[in-house]
Amino acid sequence: MSVLLDVQDLQTRFQVRKGHVYAVNGVSFQLDQGETLAVVGESGCGKSVTMLSLVRLLPPAASIESGQVLLRGEDLLQLNLRQLRDVRGGEIGMIFQDPMTSLNPFINIGTQMAEPLIYHRGMSKSEALARSAELLEMVGIPDGAARLREYPHQFSGGMRQRVMIAMSMSCEPAVLIADEPTTALDVTIQAQIVELVKELRDRSGVAVIWITHDLSVVAGIADRVIVMYAGYIVEEAPVDALFEDPRHPYTVGLMGALPSLAGETGTRLTTIGGSPPDLVDLPEFCPFHPRCPYAIDRCRKENPMLEPVIDAGDGGHRAACWVDIREVELEAGAAAGSV
Amino acid sequence: MTTQEIAPTDDFGIAEASRTNLWKDAVARLAANKLAVIGIIPIILLFFIAIFGPYLTPYDFLAQDFTARLAAPSSEHWLGTDELGRDVFSRILYGARTAVAVGLVSTAISLIVGLIMGSLAGYLGGRVDMLVVWLTDMTRSMPALLLAIVINLTLKVPLEAWMEQMYLATKNGFFRQTMWVDLVLVFGALALIQWPGYARLIRGQILSIRSRNYVLAARALGMPTGRILTRYVIPNAMGPLIVAVSAGLGGAMVLESAFSFLGVGVQLPIPSWGKMISDGLRMWQTHPYLLAGPAVMMAIITVSFAWLGDGLNDALNPRQWGG
Ligand SMILES: Nc1ncnc2c1ncn2[C@@H]1O[C@H](COP(=O)(O)OP(=O)(O)OP(=O)(O)O)[C@@H](O)[C@H]1O
Ligand code: SF4
Ligand SMILES: [Mg+2]
Repeated sequence: MSVLLDVQDLQTRFQVRKGHVYAVNGVSFQLDQGETLAVVGESGCGKSVTMLSLVRLLPPAASIESGQVLLRGEDLLQLNLRQLRDVRGGEIGMIFQDPMTSLNPFINIGTQMAEPLIYHRGMSKSEALARSAELLEMVGIPDGAARLREYPHQFSGGMRQRVMIAMSMSCEPAVLIADEPTTALDVTIQAQIVELVKELRDRSGVAVIWITHDLSVVAGIADRVIVMYAGYIVEEAPVDALFEDPRHPYTVGLMGALPSLAGETGTRLTTIGGSPPDLVDLPEFCPFHPRCPYAIDRCRKENPMLEPVIDAGDGGHRAACWVDIREVELEAGAAAGSV
Repeated sequence: MTTQEIAPTDDFGIAEASRTNLWKDAVARLAANKLAVIGIIPIILLFFIAIFGPYLTPYDFLAQDFTARLAAPSSEHWLGTDELGRDVFSRILYGARTAVAVGLVSTAISLIVGLIMGSLAGYLGGRVDMLVVWLTDMTRSMPALLLAIVINLTLKVPLEAWMEQMYLATKNGFFRQTMWVDLVLVFGALALIQWPGYARLIRGQILSIRSRNYVLAARALGMPTGRILTRYVIPNAMGPLIVAVSAGLGGAMVLESAFSFLGVGVQLPIPSWGKMISDGLRMWQTHPYLLAGPAVMMAIITVSFAWLGDGLNDALNPRQWGG
């Protein structure tokens, strides 16, 4: 598989009254053609800002300090606005968390769907409308042609997300970025949306970046997973490896329970205590250490780099941690056993 | 899995085929609002009178009937006559013209200034925004009527002197019509009082709409800024703006009357309700109808604009459009 999107050392920060918020701190990852990459992490860890940085859709207070975003070798951060607009929607489609407010209430669905087709694909209005009707049917909205004349308020949340998906896929982008597209929806509808994206992906071969809090969705849709914490990627692994053999304490914590700890035998933490750090400084320590049960002295002095884990598999398993948590667990197990 | 199998179960029920046009919806909601409809009638009448009034009046507004000065209402003079024997009813009809002209022109000026300043502030942000916000705060912190009086007192004399100079230099009759000084001062004062409201409204609208999800979604689809402005930002800002303009028209008419009442209004032979009220007030004990006519008209129009504004506010409220 060839690399489609290659993000290198991306850094994005916000100018705020007191200084800076370091939202994305040297994020690097790759996305292969047709691959599905899941991005997980607590609220505020920089998932959305990372993805918005790729196509420079950031709020005015944000600035991209460094990095490269290579789409088929072309750096999107160097493009002028015109070229960038062709990438947005044309090469990289996006869907967002809140479908209820993602459509313009004043324009009917057909006109809204037709605009990108007219703009990116040079279609005539009637061609674009015909294509939009097909797209609606494709995302599971029957009677598409008739529904083109309706307005967003006539669609439910799930239907609006389907419309958003249809719009973002209408110009056949190479990458679809889905930023928590199901969070605002009912559980049953969430599953439908996941299925819909999987089906569209399999049919069109689009590469997908799927941001979510929901690990069960990750297991079902992703090939590879990135775990983010405080603006860093702290672990990256093929989906099976991540679930079977997580190496970063934060990932372990996300998966529900941290294992028993040396000195605290029998205590099982079911949630990660504490909260993520304020991102007002670039840390010179592991940003997770205040919450980490495995923390050692080094963690408070040096910030670990994302590096391949010991005996990583083929898929490239990387983690940013000073400690080999398997060893600690083994020792803890041995200690517990010997008592 | 096929598309059919994952066809949604979530409801299509909320979609009613007839509800296809949001503006039609809004008009329907407005029509269902009794107060707004009651308010529209006098407003339509006002505009009608303003346009056709001169053809409807029984007397010319300057025609003096010396045999019937300060006459009580009668079949000949429905609302009586004033000190100079001028027909009050005719003067009220003419006054509608002044009210509408002042309302429209001053609202148009302040709307244009407000649009420009508000959009600049909302779009450019930073220093421009701070400057505009500061200017609007300064203007709004001054009492409106005081501002009008100060403007009138400080600018009227120099402006008239300048007009006279220009007349002497050019011998152009236009510069002898001091009416223009009055008009410029009144419209200027009204615009000065009213533009900050529009500017702040538009600034707020732009800031809020710019950060809405559908604008982000449109940008993510690569839509150009111009399209986003005309298709996303402006239509979504229209509702509150229409409401504000409706209230502003009524407000401008009342303000103009207040100016005239205080003697800083349009000093024209053309009647103005404010001037009539202030004249009538001098003899309200002996000749109350001189005050009653224009005052009642003023009250009806003010209340009508308020009701219409409320109705528009409800009808155009985006929250009721299902967001
Ligand atoms: N406009 C802004 N001004 C200042 N800081 C911001 C702004 N937007 C985001 N941030 C900061 O950037 C960080 C990353 O935010 P981001 O939205 O990427 O988080 P996220 O991982 O997407 O969270 P969620 O799961 O809640 O969507 C947050 O800590 C937040 O404080
Ligand atoms: S580096 Fe230290 S503090 Fe950070 S996650 Fe690893 S063990 Fe915990
Ligand atoms: Mg987010």
